[in-house]
Amino acid sequence: MNFEAVIGLEIHVEMKTKSKMFSRAPVTFGALPNTSVLPLDMAFPGTMPVVNKQAVINAIRVSNALHMEIDREIWFDRKNYFYSDLPKGFQITQARRPIGSNGWLDIEVDGVTKHVDIERLHMEEDTCMQHHLFDSTLLDYNRAGIPLIEIVTRPTIRSGAEAMKYVEKIRSIVTFADVSDGKMEEGSLRCDVNISLRPYGVTKLGTKCEIKNLNSIVAIEKAIEFEIKRQAELLLSGQPVEQETRRYEEVKKETVLMRKKTDAVDYKYFVEPNLVPIKLSEKFIQDAITSCPELADSKKARYIKDYGLSDYDASIILLDKEVAAYFDRSVKLSPHSKLLANWITVDIAGYSNKTGKTIREFSVSPEHLATLVSMIDKGQISNKQARQIFEAMIEQHGEPRALADKLGMMQVSDESVILAHIKDTLDANPQSIEDFKAGKERAVGFLVGQIMKKTGGKINPGLTSKLLLEELKKR
Amino acid sequence: MSYLDLTLADLHQALVAKKVTPLQLAAEALKRAKANGDNAFERFMENEAFAIASALKEPEANNPFWGIPFVIKDNFSTKGIETTASSNILNGYIPSFDATVVARLLAAHAVPIAKSTLDELAMGGSGTTGHKGPTFNPYDPKHERMIGGSSCGSAVSVCANIVPFALGSDTGDSVRKPASFAGLVGFKPTWGRISRFGLFPFAPSLDHVGYFTRSVEDAALALAVIAGSDIEDATTSHKQIEDYTRLLKKDIKGVKIAVISEVVETIRNKAVIAAFDETLTALKKQGAIVSYVSLDKQMLETIFPTYLTLCCAEATSNNANLDGIKFGPRFEGKTYQEVMLKARTAGFSELIKRRFVIGSFALMRENQDVLFLRAQKNRRKIVNAVNAILKDHDVIYLPAAPGIAPKFLESGDRLSDTYLIADNHLVLGNFSGLPSITIPIGFEDKMPFGGNVMGRAFEEALVLQVAEKIENATGYRNLSVKAVNL
Repeated sequence: MNFEAVIGLEIHVEMKTKSKMFSRAPVTFGALPNTSVLPLDMAFPGTMPVVNKQAVINAIRVSNALHMEIDREIWFDRKNYFYSDLPKGFQITQARRPIGSNGWLDIEVDGVTKHVDIERLHMEEDTCMQHHLFDSTLLDYNRAGIPLIEIVTRPTIRSGAEAMKYVEKIRSIVTFADVSDGKMEEGSLRCDVNISLRPYGVTKLGTKCEIKNLNSIVAIEKAIEFEIKRQAELLLSGQPVEQETRRYEEVKKETVLMRKKTDAVDYKYFVEPNLVPIKLSEKFIQDAITSCPELADSKKARYIKDYGLSDYDASIILLDKEVAAYFDRSVKLSPHSKLLANWITVDIAGYSNKTGKTIREFSVSPEHLATLVSMIDKGQISNKQARQIFEAMIEQHGEPRALADKLGMMQVSDESVILAHIKDTLDANPQSIEDFKAGKERAVGFLVGQIMKKTGGKINPGLTSKLLLEELKKR
Repeated sequence: MSYLDLTLADLHQALVAKKVTPLQLAAEALKRAKANGDNAFERFMENEAFAIASALKEPEANNPFWGIPFVIKDNFSTKGIETTASSNILNGYIPSFDATVVARLLAAHAVPIAKSTLDELAMGGSGTTGHKGPTFNPYDPKHERMIGGSSCGSAVSVCANIVPFALGSDTGDSVRKPASFAGLVGFKPTWGRISRFGLFPFAPSLDHVGYFTRSVEDAALALAVIAGSDIEDATTSHKQIEDYTRLLKKDIKGVKIAVISEVVETIRNKAVIAAFDETLTALKKQGAIVSYVSLDKQMLETIFPTYLTLCCAEATSNNANLDGIKFGPRFEGKTYQEVMLKARTAGFSELIKRRFVIGSFALMRENQDVLFLRAQKNRRKIVNAVNAILKDHDVIYLPAAPGIAPKFLESGDRLSDTYLIADNHLVLGNFSGLPSITIPIGFEDKMPFGGNVMGRAFEEALVLQVAEKIENATGYRNLSVKAVNL
């Protein structure tokens, strides 16, 4: 490759606060159109914005997670432009004084740590949702005014893989901090990419393109890879890259032109006169930070240190906040953290992949999983049987002990019981004792098979073999 | 004599004594409103008024607004009542909520009888630019003189004894200037003292709720009812409301009154100066300490351009919601741009469009530094100068205007110091957000003119006290067209 890609990301995160950024209308997802709307959200004359305190707390939490400087005063500005999805004709945002500035985030790509510089984090309000039909456009004001945080990196990202890891980490932070659902496919986390190329060694930036319509984390990587190729081909053939906004087409896996960028729009920013600057006390900021739900990085360190999980298992569990919550609940009930982790990362994950169900929809409770794991640990059931019970738990929603009983598979590990079976079997098979003494090892297999047959397989096979050998030697 | 000719306080006594009922008052007020020929109303609220008034049976002795008919400037949101701000772009707009001040008056069982005319979207000072044409000054039967704006219809309502109280709004001097031209008390308390929720914004950093009464006592009574914090308006103050009526009677011994020489010097009207001087003498007699202070004349001359820049800039943004998509008249188009363009082209008068262009120009990236931000900085400088005066003085007292209400066809010299300073100094109250009250102090050619008292932030009580002493001295209490022509 002759060129270095220079990439910056803008991420919009929709907050799941109870009410909107400046109005008391509830924040809803998937509600009937135009049912979560107050006069303010439709910009009826005389309505006035009131700042949502929880949104400020959320912004502080994310700023802190991104190692940002947090402004001690909250200022809002108006961004003025006309558009059909913008009820007031301006958006209230934080142009001049974002709540968070100058942060960073370390990500790991192929085992190498990459430091991403973050320029700013600010709060703003969402626009209304447009549904374009053949000859008209429908407007849904439910989304109008939903609190957003926008996180803007400096152009320090160099590849699609880095961008993908960065977005994954941002999503992890906002979901674990309870700020957002972070669902790209539903638009609660949206990412725009700015990308330009320059020959290695050159410091001057090339002409950049903006890519929109990225609906998944994978799409970000694919879109960037395509765009790097496209721009490189242009440059290598002596053609200029033009400044444009491009859209990623999921099906074709390529970016297509949306519009050429002429001079950037003048948004005529000025300070929002209906909101006086809000002073934040140190206590307010500290409370916001200390009351923040535990983030994935901290959980991971704890999982490894306290529960002895492997880095890999911990990472898999922490990919999804709900999965982590499931692990947290089950690990409280059982000391067998590694076994639990194994079940969660293999069996439950496998089930999720197969059925497309999330762990929230998963019918086996953490309590039941903990019981199942302790049954395995105690040798009451074999791993094979445990899988059968697991299947039964999913289908019948039952308690594992009850199911094991029902399936007739509670494994016997009581030595006296096993020994009684062994003695009976040996008494009934004197020939096998002779064979064993004559050095015929397969006699042991035969005897174990007889015991299993007798007990319907409910007996602990390892223990049985061990005790059988001891008994044989005695005879 | 009709009870409507009484001040609010006296009318309250009549209601408590059951000499008259709210329903009788509402009927009489509506009759007078309809008979009025000054083009003061957008819409009468007959059904609402009768419904509210007829439900009021037992007078409330401690509630001065019980059964009192009042008028609402048509830029206050009124639930279920068309509210146009005298602009075609809002024709047919029926709000779904009441402005906080309206709600507080309704909660006090006051009776709204009409929505009054204003300069279109409150952007004007002449009372001539509403979509229904000019509003006339009832003091001038020949209809040659304006009453001033933008709260023109509300001023008419009170000086023509239609109601004793009317809501207005004041961004430059939109209550206090018409009050001067209509011989009324016009009060704009501190920014943040009264909720602006439901007031159609013109320029929020300058917008104030204000109102008209015919006595300072009535102004004090009203403040106690409508002031106070509001969760719907984040800029309202949590400061306690005072007992303004009780404090009114306090004497003004030792109160330091400043008169800005540079303002008075630009007033060439002898009647105004003579009347003003007389009130100064009276104030001194009551123990006030009057001193002339100086404020840089060049700075005073920047009030108007600074104001114009700031209010137009804020206005262009505030009115961007009027795009014909969500409410108001709808024009079809192939694109959203076409829909908006048609609505805004048809909906706004040329004057309004001019203001938007000025405001937009001032906010443009390449102009912001030299226009909008410079105006904001200058505003700050001017406010600092005013606050410096109020550090050593309790109030500033000045003639409210350079003369009586101008004729419609009169065009003053807009570059003269009289215009730039004497006609615009009330804007100091909007720049600073300080409480400011106009009271009548004299007449010329049977037309009234006023004086203005401005005090420190949230010192409404002191401002009212001084105003009341001036009222006592002039005897112009309960002034009205009717009283003057008796």
